[in-house]
Amino acid sequence: VIQRERAIVGLAWISPWLLGFLFFLAAPIAMSLYYSLTDYSILESPVFVGLENYARLWSDPTFWTVLKNTLLYAAVMVPASTMLALALAVLLNQQPPGWKLARAIIFLPTLLPAAAAAMAWLWLLNGDAGLLNRVLTPLLAMLSLKAPAWLQSHVWAMPAIMIVALWQVGQSVIIYQAALREVPQSLLEAASIDGMGPWTRFRHVTLPMISPVVLFNVIIGCIGALQVFVFPFIMTGGGPGTATYFYSMYLYDNGFMFGPQMGYACALAWVQMALVALLTFGLLRLSKSKVHYRAG
Amino acid sequence: VQITYWEKWTGHEALAMQRVVDDFNQSQSRVFVRFLSMTMIEQKAMIAIAGGNPPDVVGLYNKNLRLFAEAGAILPLGELAGRHTLTSEHYADAIWRLCTLRPRRNAEDTIDREELFGLPNTCSTMALYYNRELVPRPPLTIAELDDMARRLTTPARGGETAAQLGFVPTEPGWWPHVWGYFFGASMYDEASDRATAADPANVRAYEWVQSFPRRFGVESMLNFQSGLGSYSSAQQPLLDGRVAMCLHGPFLVNVIKQFKPDFPFGVAPFPVDTIEPDDANPVGLVEADVLAIPSGCEHVEEAMEFMAFTQRSDIAERLAIAHAKPSPLAACSREYYASHPNPQIRVHEAIARSTRGFGYPSTRVWNEYESMLRRAFESEIWQLRRPASDVLRDVQARAQQAIDRASEKQRRRRARDASRRASLDAPARDRGPA
Repeated sequence: VIQRERAIVGLAWISPWLLGFLFFLAAPIAMSLYYSLTDYSILESPVFVGLENYARLWSDPTFWTVLKNTLLYAAVMVPASTMLALALAVLLNQQPPGWKLARAIIFLPTLLPAAAAAMAWLWLLNGDAGLLNRVLTPLLAMLSLKAPAWLQSHVWAMPAIMIVALWQVGQSVIIYQAALREVPQSLLEAASIDGMGPWTRFRHVTLPMISPVVLFNVIIGCIGALQVFVFPFIMTGGGPGTATYFYSMYLYDNGFMFGPQMGYACALAWVQMALVALLTFGLLRLSKSKVHYRAG
Repeated sequence: VQITYWEKWTGHEALAMQRVVDDFNQSQSRVFVRFLSMTMIEQKAMIAIAGGNPPDVVGLYNKNLRLFAEAGAILPLGELAGRHTLTSEHYADAIWRLCTLRPRRNAEDTIDREELFGLPNTCSTMALYYNRELVPRPPLTIAELDDMARRLTTPARGGETAAQLGFVPTEPGWWPHVWGYFFGASMYDEASDRATAADPANVRAYEWVQSFPRRFGVESMLNFQSGLGSYSSAQQPLLDGRVAMCLHGPFLVNVIKQFKPDFPFGVAPFPVDTIEPDDANPVGLVEADVLAIPSGCEHVEEAMEFMAFTQRSDIAERLAIAHAKPSPLAACSREYYASHPNPQIRVHEAIARSTRGFGYPSTRVWNEYESMLRRAFESEIWQLRRPASDVLRDVQARAQQAIDRASEKQRRRRARDASRRASLDAPARDRGPA
């Protein structure tokens, strides 16, 4: 009786969260699954169409374009941001002069609202008057090359978005820095005594010791990269053409702009979720032999 | 009675509408209008209407009308407006055409005639704006425009990017679908419900568009474009001399007044090719901002009373002056022309009254179609990656797929509604007459 009473009291205490979860998360998730099986324009009641929305994905060339763009973005961004963040964290961990200021500068961009940062980068990447090209133009001229019109060129627009995203790598740097401090000094000293150089020590001692943190950051990075939206939405609108048109943008367009076709947008969302789940599962499987968890 | 009015305008345009609302509220004591200005109104109105809690009056764009009307989300206004003597005679021809449509709905509800779904509170038409110091006489034909554009183009020092272009189709680049209309084409045939992007006249128009990057080089054009200032700034390209002519709307005058009041500008109908230029019946894009009454609105009569107030000549003219747009009405007062901030507003009004004024294609998939066209324009046409004819053929095929898909969905919806009605009627028939 006492246990049941305790359970009821416990449930009562967490009921605000439970109700919130049911109404604002579980119910919309279930409804989006249902809507993905319907033709639903928001203004009209949904008509059940079975798997038609999912079947349409196969023959939709824009779906394949945005999927390709998103996977390419993730394939470049996840390793690039991981390596950059790790390199910066290792550098900061050496505590060179001014490292605290450097850490603050690296972390600062993550505090800025993405929309404001995107607007600032629009100016920095301006092909004609942007700061980046002002610096690059004389340097490239020596090699008889021209600075690109970053956001207008279908070749350079994607790298430009990646550069902006890499600029916000500060949060990962802080996490890696914390992880690096947890690496036992005794192991590093033992490795030094055994004759290991700095790179070998990093490769065979530090990296295995922080591998759970690397895995965490890679998974979070993958999820973020597969959902990329704000920077391309504000800076290029997906253009020029479809050069920076990503999955979440196409989903949004279908859900609110094209018709709207909320049923199709829900199907896109479920495929995106499946993709994220598959990738996370794959990474966890792959990491089994590579990630070392410390006991205790 | 308190009614709610949602409007898409912000900034000075919203303030001007707020003054109209205030005047209405002071003019009588029975109805009070609560005015809410917001962005992304289509999405917000859609969700509010679907959720059963719509505003009483909503300010949409005319291109939204078909979607909302076919979904039964806004009320037909013909009868209500007629009671306030708001009929076709009250409005400029092209504007009335934008507000009336023949919605394709379900079998029983099919409206087999044009029905009014919105009342215009302002409108815009697009014309050629030019720098009078550089262009003494506006071009009448595309050939003349090309010739002037070539003469008015000056290379920058070093020759990497042009310092000034006579004309460039991507400035401001807000209407990439319009070029074919000046060559006698259109993007959509409403009667047959067909996309017509690959029409030979459209191909000719976009080949003309491609002549610009072909002449000056793609990279050079991209750099030139990216260096142009934004619309609402002193660096607006026409104002700061980077371009000599551009296709623009009447609202450009607000920017001119704010940043360079002495700027010597002229306005003329955009030049044409193949078809005859005619100042009395010019070709041009026409848009309207429309007031509509959402389905489920609780105060229809009061909403109409307020909307009718906004259609009064003096009110409509005052709002047009405040927005620097043409009046949507058939006739305007002498005072209106005397006090309008755009001394060349008659050019815009001629387009609104022209039989050759064209609106956005009246299909509910226009946003999707426009997105396909815009992306193809930016990347493939403008950057010369493929011939215009190939690009337009692909766009047409994909747009037609979207149109056919929407038709099929409507057919299915009609069938479902009919079967629902039949199942509801059956028990009533079985019960027989009471």
